[in-house]
Amino acid sequence: MMRLQSVQDLARFRQDIYSEQTIRYDRPTLVVCAGTGGQASGSNDIIRVIKRVLLERGIQDRLGLRITGCQGFCEMDPFILVQPGRQLYPKLRMEDVPRVIDAVLGDYVDEQLIYKDARDGRPRYSQNDIPFFEKQTRTILGSNEKLDPIRIRDYLALGGYTALEKVLSSPDPDAIIQEVIASGLRGRGGAGFPTGQKWRLARTSGRKDEQKFVVCNADEGDPGAYMDRSLLEGNPHAILEGMIIAGIAIGATEGIIYVRSEYPLAVKHSYIAIKHATELGLLGDRILGSDLRFNMSIVRGAGAFVCGEETALIKSVEGKLGEPRQRPPYPIHKGIDGHPTCINNVETLANIPVIINRGGAEFAKIGVPGNTGTKIFSLVGKIKSTGLVEVPLGIKIRDVVYEIGGGQVGSAKIKAVQTGGPSGGCIPARMFDLPIDYDSLTKAGSIMGSGGMIVMDERTCMVDVAKYFMSFLKDESCGKCFTCRKGTQRMYEILEDISKGKGTLDQLDLLEELATTVKDTTMCGLGQSAPNPVLSTLRYFREECERHVWDKKCDAHVCKDLVGAPCQSACPAGTEAWRYVAHIRRGEYEEAYRVIREANPFPSVCSRVCNHPCEEHCRAGEHGGEAIAIRALKRFVTDRVDPSTYRPLRTAYPDSNSPKVAIIGSGPAGLTAAHHLSLRGYRSTIFEQAAKPGGMLYSAIPAYRLPPDVIRKEIESILDENIEVRCNAALGRDFTIDSLQSDGYKAVLIAIGAHKSLRLGLPGEDTPGIYPSIEFLRAFNTGGFALARGHVGVIGGGNSAVDAARLALRQKEVKSVTLFYRRTRAEMPAFAEEIEAAIEEGVILEPLVTPMRILAKDGRLTGVEFLRNKLGPRDASGRPQPEPVPGTEFTASLDTLIVAISEGSDTDCIRAASSSLIEMSKFGTVNADPATLLTNRPGVFAAGDVVTGPNTVIDAVAAGKKAAVMIDRYLSGTTLRQPGTARLPHIYVEPVGPPGDGNGNGHRAVAPHVAVEARRRSFAEVDGTLSTEDARREAGRCLRCDLEFTQPSKTNAEVSVVEGVAL
Amino acid sequence: MFAYWNAKFDFIGEEDMIAEEVARVVEKHADRRGALISVLEDIQQKYGYLSRGALEAVALKSRRSLVDIYSVATFYRAFSLSPRGRHLVSACVGTACHVRGAPGVVEELKRRLGINPGATTTDREFTLETVNCLGACALGPIVVVDGRYNPNVGVAKVEPIIAKAIRGSEADDALHDERIFPLNVQCPRCGHSLLDEAHLVDGQASIRLRGNADGQSGWINLSRLYGSVHSVTDTLFPNDSITSFRCPNCDHDLAGPVHCNDCDAPMVPLGITGGGIVQFCSRRGCPSHTLDLDSGRSGATAAFNAPERGSAS
Repeated sequence: MMRLQSVQDLARFRQDIYSEQTIRYDRPTLVVCAGTGGQASGSNDIIRVIKRVLLERGIQDRLGLRITGCQGFCEMDPFILVQPGRQLYPKLRMEDVPRVIDAVLGDYVDEQLIYKDARDGRPRYSQNDIPFFEKQTRTILGSNEKLDPIRIRDYLALGGYTALEKVLSSPDPDAIIQEVIASGLRGRGGAGFPTGQKWRLARTSGRKDEQKFVVCNADEGDPGAYMDRSLLEGNPHAILEGMIIAGIAIGATEGIIYVRSEYPLAVKHSYIAIKHATELGLLGDRILGSDLRFNMSIVRGAGAFVCGEETALIKSVEGKLGEPRQRPPYPIHKGIDGHPTCINNVETLANIPVIINRGGAEFAKIGVPGNTGTKIFSLVGKIKSTGLVEVPLGIKIRDVVYEIGGGQVGSAKIKAVQTGGPSGGCIPARMFDLPIDYDSLTKAGSIMGSGGMIVMDERTCMVDVAKYFMSFLKDESCGKCFTCRKGTQRMYEILEDISKGKGTLDQLDLLEELATTVKDTTMCGLGQSAPNPVLSTLRYFREECERHVWDKKCDAHVCKDLVGAPCQSACPAGTEAWRYVAHIRRGEYEEAYRVIREANPFPSVCSRVCNHPCEEHCRAGEHGGEAIAIRALKRFVTDRVDPSTYRPLRTAYPDSNSPKVAIIGSGPAGLTAAHHLSLRGYRSTIFEQAAKPGGMLYSAIPAYRLPPDVIRKEIESILDENIEVRCNAALGRDFTIDSLQSDGYKAVLIAIGAHKSLRLGLPGEDTPGIYPSIEFLRAFNTGGFALARGHVGVIGGGNSAVDAARLALRQKEVKSVTLFYRRTRAEMPAFAEEIEAAIEEGVILEPLVTPMRILAKDGRLTGVEFLRNKLGPRDASGRPQPEPVPGTEFTASLDTLIVAISEGSDTDCIRAASSSLIEMSKFGTVNADPATLLTNRPGVFAAGDVVTGPNTVIDAVAAGKKAAVMIDRYLSGTTLRQPGTARLPHIYVEPVGPPGDGNGNGHRAVAPHVAVEARRRSFAEVDGTLSTEDARREAGRCLRCDLEFTQPSKTNAEVSVVEGVAL
Repeated sequence: MFAYWNAKFDFIGEEDMIAEEVARVVEKHADRRGALISVLEDIQQKYGYLSRGALEAVALKSRRSLVDIYSVATFYRAFSLSPRGRHLVSACVGTACHVRGAPGVVEELKRRLGINPGATTTDREFTLETVNCLGACALGPIVVVDGRYNPNVGVAKVEPIIAKAIRGSEADDALHDERIFPLNVQCPRCGHSLLDEAHLVDGQASIRLRGNADGQSGWINLSRLYGSVHSVTDTLFPNDSITSFRCPNCDHDLAGPVHCNDCDAPMVPLGITGGGIVQFCSRRGCPSHTLDLDSGRSGATAAFNAPERGSAS
């Protein structure tokens, strides 16, 4: 390349690029991201195949290929962005490439491959319409897709180095600094010091003509942040241009890029950029022929977090130990080799050309006063659209997380975001209205930091995160200050104790004290901010810490020593799923049955209707894998093993003096409590309002999901000589709580379920033809009355609504069934597979509606008037709020309407039945202490749906077990609330073959089910049982998380290691 | 890779590195800022770790105390004082990877390899390391094996990743890999085809060039498959030597104006029939190469005016 001698030369050179068409904009171009993220996802393979196809077809001239650095939408890598149409083809495989090329050459869109948004499944034909990009302001990052980072011509063609041109036309350092001050730009490294002010200080610092340095700090040490990498990798000349301008402004002649060696591509691209800029004469002893000098070099960091701190960075540049020193003197006075050194972050420097080109005042219009411009965040962790996002400062966290990031992944709700990395803190979801600016984040106990924004959900443990940061910091503390060295170590140890279940409540206070001490007594930024992760965790998530300490529970299922095997810890009833799966693999089905039954007296029921939290937490299901089909395996066992195989272990037998217990309600909670009380030596009487026991199991779940026979057999196997069941005995009518107590029952358990559907609150709701869903389900399930006829509407989106819809479809006089829901299908709380089955069977889904008016004629329902909704802003739970749109009224003609918006308990009977009122919540549930299940009345406990509201069977079973324990403690006079213990695997079941190997194709087994045509009008059970072969293969896929705890330790020395060299 | 033939990394083992080599590296960085770190990086790059002998040689040569050298070598995570295995497995434990399950992945790697992070298996096959962040946070957890990034790694993916490393990351099966394809190349000077039907490499006509390095000269036949590293030659050119290549037809020196981004040796550009250029580094053993179809102009002139292209793909 020729060396340019003047500003005019540069302008001419740029003009040549346009006229020679070195870069051709006259043909479609495939843009492929080949940054670190793109390459990790296989974009190099995509590029190779593109080249192959271009060569094979000889169409190099008709189609361009641009290989760029990171464009930020890493979730979608590898992708092709087509210019000029801006179609985005995401997550491509090599075999897709020819199809994309066909589409581009044929000027059409490949509907199958085009980007579809996860929220509505609809295609977006231009990248500009993708929500991830729509809400961003990509002042800096936007250039990355337009240029190949190793071609200086690309940068020049985009107007690169025009800011330098402008500056060099009439070099005036004060004017540059004035412009930067006017822009309001604050350092993007995290502390937010005004850049213009730093430059002004640097300009006046030092002796006249003393050598000065500009350092670009690309030691992006915050683990979880990669904005600087993507900028240096994707647009290195922008950084160079910013540095040269900084050099001119402060009078520095040497520039150094200090970059982490963990970023090989960034190192390489910076190196090439410096080489090209030097060749062109943009760097060197006479920049563009002027008498200004600026040379640049790269120093690679060697992996030390503390070297991001400016004084440590300087030591590292000098080739020494990267230990910080006391400030002042600040580096702008005494830096590298004692010379004035101005250190700026990568992103700060990338903003400089923008400021010079647009003018400082114009730049200041972006963002909010005091926090101007944009900031790039690395939005990662538990979020749908991960990647780099550039937003104006002052935007709300909520907008970034939900609008741009698309919200939660899967079922776990977002709990917090962590900003600022190891120096920052966690901000809880309830504070997501906080604007993102330097000052608000600091006030909230976190910091802006360099831009890491890690989203955490219910499966992220805050104790673990704090421990993670302390582990990081204790390793990275340089050791110079005693309090930092020892303080981070000690805080780590305490958090480690807590995560292992060995913590005490006193330690939480100690932790806080330590954190404050470290903050106050350390020298550099690392130590001063090191306690932030701990302090913010204690401030916002103290309850979660206490749960670890007291209950020995990690609800996120993360802390290994409290969780054990996640399938087991996820099960409310504590079923050792890993253990029975292991037995199935070995062909020991009776042993498997005993394991299941030991934990859960309703194995056959749960093998059909359980919401299987065990599968949600199964490690085989992480990262695109498929969870073990644990429920189907349970079904396989319960279908083939006789319940009498299990002989329960009794710890005591009742005698004539044993206290009696009254249990109101014979659902899964009541029966489980009775069963476990019996095993503990108590006699109990169950009072059931209906004609037979079973509660919600009978009345709420349709037969095609759970055949009544299964319920009956299961209950028969539970009942024994210690349990008396009195049917047709209703609370409030036939007995009261007072009467039970005066009849000598020493403890009472209320477990009456949630049998009362909530009302819409519209006039005319009592018109014949309208039924609450529970009433509708119960009428059929227990009495065989088919209440639905003609065109049926069901309002609601939960399991009860879907059950009602599917049941209505099966009733003889029904013509159609429509499910009306206020949000979209994605937000429906019902199980996804149930919604799918309902739609398959012919239920029509009418989403986004609000019922407004009930229409009736001659005293009978004729229809309902609805308004259409749109999705509005999200509420605290992260769900978008439905907003009715005026003027969109429509009428649905209906003969039957089933209202299934939620259920409460029929708590009127409790009020009437008790002389002293039992406390209720505003939701119509009984207030019982969640730790002890005791109500406000001595000796009266409550468990199951009556406490929690509508809930799952397995939760009811767990509540029943807990109630039995609490009643036992109460009757034997011991303390109700006792510290918990972790349930860890402790029985070794020898694996057959290597865990995780099912000898199959690795895919999850699917149980046979009745075809749609056959089941649409049938009450026969839909789901079948796995074959023996499938079941054993499926069991073989289990990763056996238990082995870590149960495997006898290896004695052979195959694990010895090569020792390090000792000096 | 379209590289100037295949040079595999020779595993040094426990042998101490030669003092002269260290001296050369120290010399090279003598006048550079931050020399010590660069010196250690270069030595580690070459031998995979810093042996006691190497540190002593650095101390001797740079006239600093061994304690100084040792303290720097142990302060930075990038340096290893023990030999590494044939395969380097780095698991990212950055925050984003952590919250997405990196600890479980590290546990599984430990279990499968039977070693702790920082250690090497006794058979010297694997070294396991954890790194604080690789900057691919959106795709976590990340495990890098021999420089190859594996995104979204769950516990279940660990076993296949290790198996792949043992098999070799890049399959040698050039004929069935859809990323590997033949090029029709011509001399950028005279435009004559360089394909040689008489000498087959990878079962196909090869690219025949005359080579001259360190006083030796001979024929070199490179595979015409982009992505294959196979080649045949009648002369043994020493490793690291820069070869000057000539067209068998016009005998022009083919060295181009562009220099290798990795080793600074001249790149050798060849024209592609129908447009585009392929370039490879003239230093034996350097894998750097480029294939540029987007130069805007085709054939011979483009080769000598083209901007540089990275070796990434």
